[in-house]
Amino acid sequence: MTWRYKIVFISIVFFFFLIILRLFYWQVIKASELSDMAQAQYGTAIKILPQRGDIETSDGFPIATSKITYLVFANPQEIKDKANSVDLLSRYLDIDVASISADLSLDKFWVPLEHGLSVENKQKIESLDLPGIGFSQEYERHYPEASMAAQLLGFLGKDEQGNDKGYFGLEGYYDRLLKGKEGAAIQVHDAFGRPILAKMNSNQSEADGQTLVLNINRAFQFLVEKKLKDGVEKYGAQSGMVGIMDPKTGGILAMASYPKFDQRHYQDYSSDLYVNPFISDLYEPGSTFKPIVMSAALDKNLVTPQTKCNICSGPVSVSGYEIHTWNDKYFPGINMIETIQHSDNTGMVFVAQKMGVDQMITALNEFGIGSNTGIDLQGEVSAPLKPKSDWYAVDLATTGFGQGISVTPIEILDAIGAIANEGKRMEPHVVNAVENSEGKLVKIPPKVTDSPISPQTAKVMTEIMVNAVNKGEASFARLKGYRIAGKTGTASIPIAGHYDPNQTIASFVGFAPADNPKFVMLVILDRPTASIYGAETAAPIFFDIAKTLLEYYQIAPTSGE
Amino acid sequence: MKKPALLIIFLISTIIVLSLVRTYISNNVATSGVVLGQIQKETESLKLENSVLAEKVYDLSSLTNLAQKAYDQGYTEGKSSFAIGTTIPVAIKQ
Repeated sequence: MTWRYKIVFISIVFFFFLIILRLFYWQVIKASELSDMAQAQYGTAIKILPQRGDIETSDGFPIATSKITYLVFANPQEIKDKANSVDLLSRYLDIDVASISADLSLDKFWVPLEHGLSVENKQKIESLDLPGIGFSQEYERHYPEASMAAQLLGFLGKDEQGNDKGYFGLEGYYDRLLKGKEGAAIQVHDAFGRPILAKMNSNQSEADGQTLVLNINRAFQFLVEKKLKDGVEKYGAQSGMVGIMDPKTGGILAMASYPKFDQRHYQDYSSDLYVNPFISDLYEPGSTFKPIVMSAALDKNLVTPQTKCNICSGPVSVSGYEIHTWNDKYFPGINMIETIQHSDNTGMVFVAQKMGVDQMITALNEFGIGSNTGIDLQGEVSAPLKPKSDWYAVDLATTGFGQGISVTPIEILDAIGAIANEGKRMEPHVVNAVENSEGKLVKIPPKVTDSPISPQTAKVMTEIMVNAVNKGEASFARLKGYRIAGKTGTASIPIAGHYDPNQTIASFVGFAPADNPKFVMLVILDRPTASIYGAETAAPIFFDIAKTLLEYYQIAPTSGE
Repeated sequence: MKKPALLIIFLISTIIVLSLVRTYISNNVATSGVVLGQIQKETESLKLENSVLAEKVYDLSSLTNLAQKAYDQGYTEGKSSFAIGTTIPVAIKQ
């Protein structure tokens, strides 16, 4: 080989080497970057927002749903006639000129102007054909029944990243189920920007949120909220609440509190109102607690309905404290039926002393007192029972008539529900079923949490409570012709280490019809001023609601009495 | 020698036919982008219309709205109710 051939050969090999080196650079080192650039040329990344699941009442009506709204944004670099754009946008968006002008003066390519724009307003602005103004679809929570069941539902707010997040109630408890999963996709288009078939690459599957189907009966909820509001105003109470449960399944049929807030403008209300007091407020239940203690004593054969109280002839002295009846009337030798009928505190001290601390603690645990009921709402609290070593004689005595012990209303409703349900305590549940985006319905089965008393004891206790309704202090308000089991409650409120005699929590708990209960209901009024007694305030509200519920269930009165 | 030649011809023919089919399908699919765009636009429009109408239906059929309308028209809550007893009427007994 001559030296000329050698030079040509080496040159060719060298140039090939350079080409291979360059190709390696583009195809291996820069491959990812080039791929992204190419994708940006032929495709557009699309963020697929999942639609938050609805919350439906038992009749399938959505009391919380999602509606389409728009985010209006601007690209200030594309806006030519700024003054005109500012003027028009300010007018249509109802934002002051200075704010819009400041936004459009920013040296950015994307500036959000307004969230939650309605479809009509979006179309109006779109028709102006303003350059540099665009829209992005969003979802906003919509409440067709306005503020109905506000504390039960909770509300939809934002987290630290600005994403939707449910707070309190169902929105908080079921947030992960409701919000679904955000998706992303690449929409490939041709040179004219038209989408190309079969080139939609979804690199993350999106799933809409799941729908909650509640046990809540919309008609009951509406009725209860109205009657409660009227009751609170009529009796001059500070607040009030009502809970209604199906004792056989634990399904919550209605739960209302007053005053309430409007979920759409939750920021305008005190954060105290966000909390659902029925599951989050602790109170001393007073006499509505007596059926729980009495049924436990009956179940353990410590007393019978005919057992006579031998300490009921006057105030009872326990560890230096004197315990009176609510009206300072005493009935020497009254039996257990009359103890509940007259709501006799001394009679309940007799029962509590028969039980002793050990059996009292066991019974209360079995009734779920001192622990969360497991209701599917965010924010449930409970006050654990004191350890046995901390119980004094006076604690045992006052627990017998529902003072000196803190419970939530849902604990009382659930415990009385056990008496209505042949001794079986159910886990209260607001959601009946969950429906996924394909329409598949998964039902949540009722769950028995405990059996604190036998069916026989439950039946005896029911009769004692029916007698209390028919012959007790609230008999004037009862529904004639119906057998309703119930108990009034007037609990003193502990203030600065003592009980204020003029400030009470008035309540009434009961179930109907007594022989085959369709519902168990608890009505509570906080500090009523028209009368401090549950029999004169909460009981009339209870029977007023019960009357409509019995008509709804088409249960006719059985007799004229 | 004859068999390998036939096989090569068969394979080449298959490649040619598949290429033609691919060209034909690609040609047809390439123009469907316009139709796809229209379908997507129409779907979005119908979804939007459906959403707006559903919102109106929910608002109008809400108990809050119905109760207000009933009140405005002068309806009041019925205070008395009437129940038919389970006792068989005398006429039917006889």
